[in-house]
Parts: sequence; C-alpha cells; structure tokens
Amino acid sequence: MIEESVFIEFNRQMGNDIWLMGFRSEALASLAKPGQFLMIRIQGNSQDPLIRRPFSIHGIGEGNIILILYQTVGRFTSLLSLTRNHDQISVIGPLGKGFRLPGSKQGAVLVAGGMGLAPMYFLAQALPPDARRNAKLFIGFSTFQGAGLIDLIKGLGLQVSLATEDGSMGFTGTVTDLFEQAIDRDAPEEPVIYACGPHAMLKKIAQKAGRLNLTCYVSLESYMACGLGICLGCAIRAARNQDTEYYYVCKDGPVFSAEIIDWEAL
Amino acid sequence: MAITPDLSVDIGGLRIKNPVIAASGTFGYGTELSPFYDPSLLGAIVVKGLSLQPMPGNPPPRTVETPCGLLNSIGLANIGINAFIKEKLPLLADTAAPVIVNIYGNSVGEYSELAGRIEGVDGISAIEVNISCPNVEKGGMVFGTDPETASKVTDGVVKRTTKPVIVKLTPNVADIAVIAKAVESAGAGALSVTNTFLGMSVDIASRRPVLTNVVGGLSGPAIKPMALYLTYRAVEAVKIPVIGLGGIMNHQDAIEFLLVGARAIQVGTANFINPRAALEIVHGLRNFCERENLSDINHLIGSLIKE
Repeated sequence: MIEESVFIEFNRQMGNDIWLMGFRSEALASLAKPGQFLMIRIQGNSQDPLIRRPFSIHGIGEGNIILILYQTVGRFTSLLSLTRNHDQISVIGPLGKGFRLPGSKQGAVLVAGGMGLAPMYFLAQALPPDARRNAKLFIGFSTFQGAGLIDLIKGLGLQVSLATEDGSMGFTGTVTDLFEQAIDRDAPEEPVIYACGPHAMLKKIAQKAGRLNLTCYVSLESYMACGLGICLGCAIRAARNQDTEYYYVCKDGPVFSAEIIDWEAL
Repeated sequence: MAITPDLSVDIGGLRIKNPVIAASGTFGYGTELSPFYDPSLLGAIVVKGLSLQPMPGNPPPRTVETPCGLLNSIGLANIGINAFIKEKLPLLADTAAPVIVNIYGNSVGEYSELAGRIEGVDGISAIEVNISCPNVEKGGMVFGTDPETASKVTDGVVKRTTKPVIVKLTPNVADIAVIAKAVESAGAGALSVTNTFLGMSVDIASRRPVLTNVVGGLSGPAIKPMALYLTYRAVEAVKIPVIGLGGIMNHQDAIEFLLVGARAIQVGTANFINPRAALEIVHGLRNFCERENLSDINHLIGSLIKE
C-alpha cells in the first residue's frame, strides 16, 4: 500500500454522468489486484471536501495507466469530473481484498448494476484468455449511457449483455431480471458469480446464487473515512453464523463471499 | 547559527520527545499507519478506546462528511482490553513512542477495573480516560457532563494505577472549566481537550438522519475554533497540563493550540486524510522553532499576547 501524488492523464465523459479517468503509476500497476480500491483526494490542501473517497480500480491500461470509472453523484465526484490533464490528485492504495479468480474449470459470470461496472473491467482483464472468451457480463443502467462505455469492455472479448430499465437499449428491465433469465436458461458449467452494484440488486443476485448453490462474490460500497481499517466506519452486518457481528468493507472486503453477509440488515 | 530546538514536553508525569500525539480512534491500535512512517517519531500514540469486553459498535451508516468536518457514530467498536494486551500491544514493542491507552467503562467501577488491568503491564505509558464519547447509550459522555461523576471516575482510576492519568473531556457542556477543575481535584495528571461535538445530518430525500444512531460526534477543521477556545478556557481553569485537540490539520493549527497554552496536541481526523499528517506536524513545529530562534518549544507554549 502506498500514498502517491499523481498527474491526471485524461478524464473524459463516457456517458450521461459517467466518467473515465486515467493516471500513470508504476507502483500501483504492479501492486493492484482486481476488486481492490483506492482512496482519492482531489486537492492537496482543500478542507472541503475533507475526507477521501473510495474508488474501485477499473483496470490497468498500457503504460501503467490506472483507470478509474466513476459517476457524478455528489460534490466530490462533480469536482473530480472538473479535474483536467496534468491536475494532481493524491491516491492511497491498493486497498482491501479483491476478487478470487475462478478455477480452471469454472466459468465467470459478471453482473454489474450501474457503477457496479467499475471493478468488472479489471476482473475481466485478469481472467485467462479462454475463460475471458467464455465469460458473460451483464450490465444494467436505468437509461442508456452511450456506446463508448460498453465498447471498452467488449474489447476484452467477453460476452456482454445490456439491460436498461427504460428500454432505451438492450433488454428492457433490471440487470437482475436479465441475469436471472440467463442463468436459468444458459448457465456455463460451474459458474462463479461476481456482482457489484446497489445493495438491493446484490441482495437479489446473492439470493438467486444461494438457491442455485452457486459460488457468488459481491463487491460492496460503503461510507468510509479512512479506507485503512482505522476509523471503523464502513461496518456491514455479518451473517448470523459468522463469528463476528460486523465486517469492515475496507479491510475484510470490499469483495465478500455472498453467504457471509446479512442481506436483511444491508 | 541554526539551533536544534528541544521539542520535548511533560504531560502530567509523562515526558514525550515532541508535543504531537496521535488521537484515539484515528490511529488504530498503533501499527495501522506504519506503512507510511515509523510511529516512533511521534511524541506518543493513543490507541483506540478500549472497554472491558469487546464492543461491536453501532449499526451503519456510521460516518458522513459535513462541511469541513466528519460526523461519526462508531460506537466505540473495539476488541476489548484483554485482546489488546495479548494481541496488539506486543506489536508495539519496538515502537519508541509511548503508548497511551484510552479506556471507556459502562460504570465508575468499570473504569477503575480497566485501570487495574493495565497496572503493571509493560509498554503502556499512560491512561487516557474517555468520559466524553457521544456515541454510546450508557455512560460515555454522561460521565463527562456532571462534575461529581467525572470526579468519581477520575478518582477511581487514579487509585488503581501508578501510571499518569489523562482525562479526555467532552465539549458538550455549559462550562468546561467546571469539569476541568473537578477532574483536576480528583487527581488527574493532565486533560485532553476536547472530544467531538454532538451533531447530526439529515438526508432530505429520505427525510431520515444519515447516521443510524441519529446523532454523532463532529470532528475536523469545522470544530477547530471551538476546540481552540475550550483549550484556552481549560488552560485558564487548571494548573495541570492540557493537551489540545480538535480539527488540527497542520503545524500552523498546532501552534495556535500551543500558543493558548496547550502543553501538547493531538492529531485525529487529519490522519484519515493525510496519513503522514502527524509526522508532518512534528517537522513543521521543529522548522517553526528554528525560524523563530526558539531553543525550547516550552517557550512557545502559553505565549499568547492578549493586549
């Protein structure tokens, strides 16, 4: 884990409110694993916003470019979208526990709800070529966000299906509906489910995976003040059979095996 | 010719090599920020508040940012004093900075029992008594808002320990001087002023409090002027050393607290934002003393010019 000041190489709008940012870091490129995250601070001496924000590592591009995919949802991400090439940001990472990759005979099924797409590109990058070609990715948005976003991940060669709630592109409905139909109809052998998105969506995916007795990993989001396991802010309730009451998203996650989470409390 | 300033200060019987202390709850159990620097370089470290039994903490969400501030309702989640002594303290054996243990009890008796457990344990240099946590149902801040109870808790701890006793006060009182004097009379060696200010934040879309606990404690630069005033007020009220804290982000902030008479300062929320903040404050204080030709940082402490 390192703290580094980096210069933004690019920061471009990919959809209505979705941005892709890149900066160069040899150290992070060599350390980072899919599913891990960074704590980002925009301006060195700014006290508002005060606290760093966690961002999944979206992937690693050529020349040790660290990619961050984000949605402008509040003041911090709005300010982040205003940063330009050569602006400096401070990053701490890589943090947390990432995804456990599928075994050689297992198929990967990736399910992303909205910004849940953030860690999936890196996960797809890390799959061996054969597994990647056979991997399925289900992405859902409330409305179509533009082709650029989808083309980027399609470029990795996996099978991509898109759902929009308003029917503006692809399957009309939620990504959960799309996933449930697909997994019933045409599941790969021994699929491992990787899901990231809103808690309500993850709960449904986890329940479906549980009913089918499939291995399922979820990447969770939480408020957190430090990302380092110090503030103890990012607590999530552990399932009743676990030997702890709470897990911490920054240290124990952000990727969790779905069965150890108390989905009713989330 | 450049002088090498002496940064060491005495806080109620504990001599520390510089006046910069990592605040409880923002420095883990002492080793979490070691990837960034050697904590030995700090004056002292105060570990996460410890209770007799492990505590799971409050239901999430536990933190939310407010303008220039951080609102938290962690609820004193901790592993308990026994697990700390057994599992965490040995990891600090090579840390040259004194370790101060912050304790929290559900009753006056529990505070003294905690002091008893710590007595005789090597590697713990002092006790910080937390009578100011706003985030627990029982006890916590209640002990710190009534001078008589604050005095009883202090007395109970002082009687069970030979280690220096620092009492951490809450700002959520009408007059901190009253509590400060009560705690001093009961035998406290020093005061930490101050803990977080009660606050809340509301999500207007859901019309619900952001924090499940409804209220939380506010920290960060937003509280600095108030914490500075309370430090000033406490320094005037008592003869024992006062450790100032609340929103200190850099060495300039730290110097403000020293000028109003704080013998040392603690760095809290800043550790989350800049993991090297506390160390940078040590360097900043040293440079300031050099520039100002101060041979001893004690010459700076309390040197506020009021007229």
